[in-house]
Amino acid sequence: MPLTLASTLVQQAHASLNPASPQVRLVDRLGTAMFVTAAVVCLLVFAALLWAALRRRSGAEPVAGGRQERPMKTAVLLATGVTTVILFVFLIFDVSVGRSITTNPGNDALQIRVTGHQWWWEVQYRDSLPKNWATTANEIHVPVGRPVVFELRSTDVIHSFWPPNLSPKRDQIPGNENSLWFQADSAGVYRGQCAEFCGHQHAKMAFLVVAEPADQFEGWLARQRDTAQTPTDSRARRGKDVFMSASCVMCHAISGTSAGSRIGPDLTHLASRRTLAAGTLPNTRENLTGWIVDPQAIKPGVKMPPNQLSGPELLALVAYLETLK
Amino acid sequence: MTAIPADPARPTDDESVRRQLDETWRQTPGLWGWLTSVDHKSIGKRYIVTAMVFFVLGGLEAGVMRAQLARPENSVLGPDAYNQFFTMHGMTMMFLFAVPVMTAVGLYLVPLMIGARNVAFPRLNAYGYWVYLAGGLFLYISFFLNTGPDTGWFSYVPLAGPEFSPGKRVDVYAQSITFTEIAALVAAVELIVTIFKNRAPGMTLNRMPLFVWAMLVQAFMVLFAMPWVATVTQLLAMDRLVATHFFNPAEGGDALLWQHLFWFFGHPEVYIILTPGLGFVSMIVATFTRRPVYGYPAMVLSLLSVGFLSFGLWVHHMFATGLPQLGQSFFTAASMMITIPSGIQIFCWIATIWAGRPRFGVPFLFVLGFVVIFVIGGVTGVMVASVAFDQQVHDSYFVVAHFHYVLIGGAVFPLLGAFYYWFPKITGRMLSERLGRWNFWLLFVGVNLTFFPMHQLGLEGMPRRVYTYLAGTGWGPLNLLATIGAVLVVVGVLLFVINVAVSLRRGALAGDDPWGADTLEWATSSPPPPYNFAHIPVVEGRAPLWEQPGELPAVSGLRTDVRDVLVTTLLDARPDSLHRHPPPTIWPLLTAIATTILFVTLIFTPWGAVIGTPLLLLTLLGWGWPHGRDHQEQRMVEQTG
Amino acid sequence: MRSTRIVADVARLPRTVFGHRSLMWWGTIGFIVIEGSTLFICVASYFYLRRNFSTWPPEHVFRPGLLIPTIQAGLMLLSNIPMVSADRASRRMDIRGVRIGFLVCSALAVIMTVLRWFEFQSLNVRWDSNAYGSVAWATLTAHGTLLLLETAETMAFTVLLFKGPLEERDLAGASDNALYWYFMTGVWIPLYVVVFLSPSIM
Repeated sequence: MPLTLASTLVQQAHASLNPASPQVRLVDRLGTAMFVTAAVVCLLVFAALLWAALRRRSGAEPVAGGRQERPMKTAVLLATGVTTVILFVFLIFDVSVGRSITTNPGNDALQIRVTGHQWWWEVQYRDSLPKNWATTANEIHVPVGRPVVFELRSTDVIHSFWPPNLSPKRDQIPGNENSLWFQADSAGVYRGQCAEFCGHQHAKMAFLVVAEPADQFEGWLARQRDTAQTPTDSRARRGKDVFMSASCVMCHAISGTSAGSRIGPDLTHLASRRTLAAGTLPNTRENLTGWIVDPQAIKPGVKMPPNQLSGPELLALVAYLETLK
Repeated sequence: MTAIPADPARPTDDESVRRQLDETWRQTPGLWGWLTSVDHKSIGKRYIVTAMVFFVLGGLEAGVMRAQLARPENSVLGPDAYNQFFTMHGMTMMFLFAVPVMTAVGLYLVPLMIGARNVAFPRLNAYGYWVYLAGGLFLYISFFLNTGPDTGWFSYVPLAGPEFSPGKRVDVYAQSITFTEIAALVAAVELIVTIFKNRAPGMTLNRMPLFVWAMLVQAFMVLFAMPWVATVTQLLAMDRLVATHFFNPAEGGDALLWQHLFWFFGHPEVYIILTPGLGFVSMIVATFTRRPVYGYPAMVLSLLSVGFLSFGLWVHHMFATGLPQLGQSFFTAASMMITIPSGIQIFCWIATIWAGRPRFGVPFLFVLGFVVIFVIGGVTGVMVASVAFDQQVHDSYFVVAHFHYVLIGGAVFPLLGAFYYWFPKITGRMLSERLGRWNFWLLFVGVNLTFFPMHQLGLEGMPRRVYTYLAGTGWGPLNLLATIGAVLVVVGVLLFVINVAVSLRRGALAGDDPWGADTLEWATSSPPPPYNFAHIPVVEGRAPLWEQPGELPAVSGLRTDVRDVLVTTLLDARPDSLHRHPPPTIWPLLTAIATTILFVTLIFTPWGAVIGTPLLLLTLLGWGWPHGRDHQEQRMVEQTG
Repeated sequence: MRSTRIVADVARLPRTVFGHRSLMWWGTIGFIVIEGSTLFICVASYFYLRRNFSTWPPEHVFRPGLLIPTIQAGLMLLSNIPMVSADRASRRMDIRGVRIGFLVCSALAVIMTVLRWFEFQSLNVRWDSNAYGSVAWATLTAHGTLLLLETAETMAFTVLLFKGPLEERDLAGASDNALYWYFMTGVWIPLYVVVFLSPSIM
């Protein structure tokens, strides 16, 4: 049963054509210059071809011989020369853009480690003090106007981190450490998707980057660092018991409880996220319930099994999860 | 040297010459004759037909994929099926269609074009076809049994390794490539040796047709590129079967080693597919403008440069993997540089058209279509050669658009033009011009409609190899447009198949030379007799049929009662020796069966090597051991001490 | 079919030629290029994977034993003597000379095949222990298939040489077999250096 993502969720078009960082803006400029040149070259070549094929010929014109050789030679040499110059210009342009977008962002940068898993993103905010680290999943917040360095890892297969509005992609390769950095220029919610085929649900391995003003970001980060609140509502408390006794604890961690498994996404602040299942569904009660009951119907092949829970148990569990803000 | 007998082996009058040659060279009738044939034309024809069947299958797979992607969250294919489909589509098109069909046309045409009677190693040629067929059948049987590969035609590790792809699917991937790679290498050796040593007297390298140059360059590229994919797939098979650690980072292996080794093959592979297409274009342009292609030396040097440079580009498939930037820039430079020899050829063809008198037959239409589509693909190629831009569009639909434009434009359109051009020679009948025009225009419009929107989709962030996408991404409308284009492509290909079927029965009779062309294959009948030429022609220029409109000079002296062929020197094609080719034999087929047993059992157990190798050695013994020795002049007088 | 006028007669051309004049020689060269590429890939992978290790061989792995591999390398080089002699004899049409050379080489080939088995043991590492072991075994296996094929071919040829009936062109075939022998033994020397000597040097 297909469940669609509400189109109002993403406020910015998921596109490298809508730059929201100086990196993408530079690349976009390069791309546009190449595109325009390419279009002109194509049109010139097609025009030459059509003219050569369709031009009026006098009956007595010889097909081979000295008189025609000179203009043909000039034309071919000229075209080759122009081609070479164009290529050389773009080579230089490309090397300089490449240099600009990879220069060291400096010590002011925020460090985030993103680890690819089959088929979700582990996001960890690292600080000089380990107790300040915050772990979340699938939704990354960054402060506007400050460079952010991403350490890119993978624990299983090759994935690729690609938020096209903000940055060109970089692969996450098991056994290697890659990195990229960007700076978000304007606030907004930007979508990215895994860009290296990684198995069954490569198609539904998306993430959101929320760029917000620095103070809002700090507030968000502080809340992410907090452990989960103990629920006060009785139904939610029952839901916590369901969580601890069902198979959930085998894979999911909630800080401040005894659930500490890192196999699946950290759920400590699940309710603060906009989407579920790596950007597949809006985070609503109905979607969360459907996901818990049968994830295979939404993302066939995903590692989370269906869960047989009674009606009241399910309601309680969802109520608990909704307290994890 | 013993004395050469006189007359009976070498009749002098033309008709008895042909009769004897026919009896000596013809294929045995019936199924047995087909199974034992060593005639390059018979083998070439079945090779072409088999490759076109795979083309249709690969196209159907693409059709189903496009049906799935026409709407967001569609339910035509689930993820597991879709992953098998896109893998099969890639493998079919790259390994079972594109390279084999070019090879096959080369194996058919090159001996005719150079005035030879057969390829240099007739039995090896047969073996190459059977191994190819076995590989294709093996892949498709596995697919129908739900064990088809599902990790993409380039099958990156660790996804394709033992931990994340249990079962036999990726082993099927690895071993089916072994088959197609053996076949390609066999064909490469054939083409190189035939072109080097079996050319007609007087056909110096300088006088070879441009298509022969293209096949020579392609053959060398195959020779140097294919071993890389053969080896890397065996390393993967070993990681999976016997727990080696080539690609396992936990024990010092390296996931990027796969990519380097694979793409060192993978980049030349696409130029291997392109280069024969460029050769087709040269032949068609010459015939349809009624003049030689302008700039023969530049054309030859360009072909050589493309072949050589293509080995220096492979890292441009790895720009997102985090390799050092300076090294990557080298590959940007090389990837851009290869545009120059490609461009030179296009400019020379346009100049030729300008100077000549074009006739707008269907082959020529396909050449015009090639220029348009290939140039579009070429300019997007320059774009993705740029590291920074590529890091945005890598692994997105922009790249899908790029490579379909260059492959369809650079290989498929010239191939279809070549079919319309040489069908009369192969079958003796003309294809319908009217159906041909419909064929062309449907394909031209369909291809552009299918693939142009994909550039935009890539820029909008749509990654490759996704079985579906969410409605909120906004990718729906362009995907639907692409699917509609795909329908047109299917109809276009269908028209081609209908044209072939109808024309085989009712096409106009072609005669020897319906186009008034300039190369040697048009000097013999359509279809050619089993022995190709009654007398080996002597060549005095680049366009022998135009330069000698009447009688062709030729040599005599080859025996007509055995399969005599003439061997000439490499550079100047001076007659150097005579060589006797073997008669039809079943051993190549048996050896191919032994090869199949070896590689298929290796999927299940390393003991397959112990079972299969002796079997293979046995068949090789049967193949190589001399039979039927009764020719006086060759017998050694025994001198036992 | 176009009519022709005869301008030359080739009936007197030789039928048995050696070296680059022979088609089979070119076929052998093609095969050599293909196998040579495969071995080059093994060596390239060897050095590529080396970069993932701080010590080479890796920790807890002994260096390869050198006794048997060095004997093998020496034998490979020496075996060229009888093969060159057979090659030269073939060009003189000296059947006896070819027979002797091939008989000796057949015996040597069997010995070298047996020694190859012990060379695997000399590596002192299993193929499935780590990437070092994997690539060392792969290199020995890849060359081992050449050795196996050439052993089989040389022995089969020796049988033909003694059993007959022989044609002149079989002696040209003997010369092509020699070419392959030179490759098989010659290419082993750099491989021996890489697999057995370089862990001591590096």
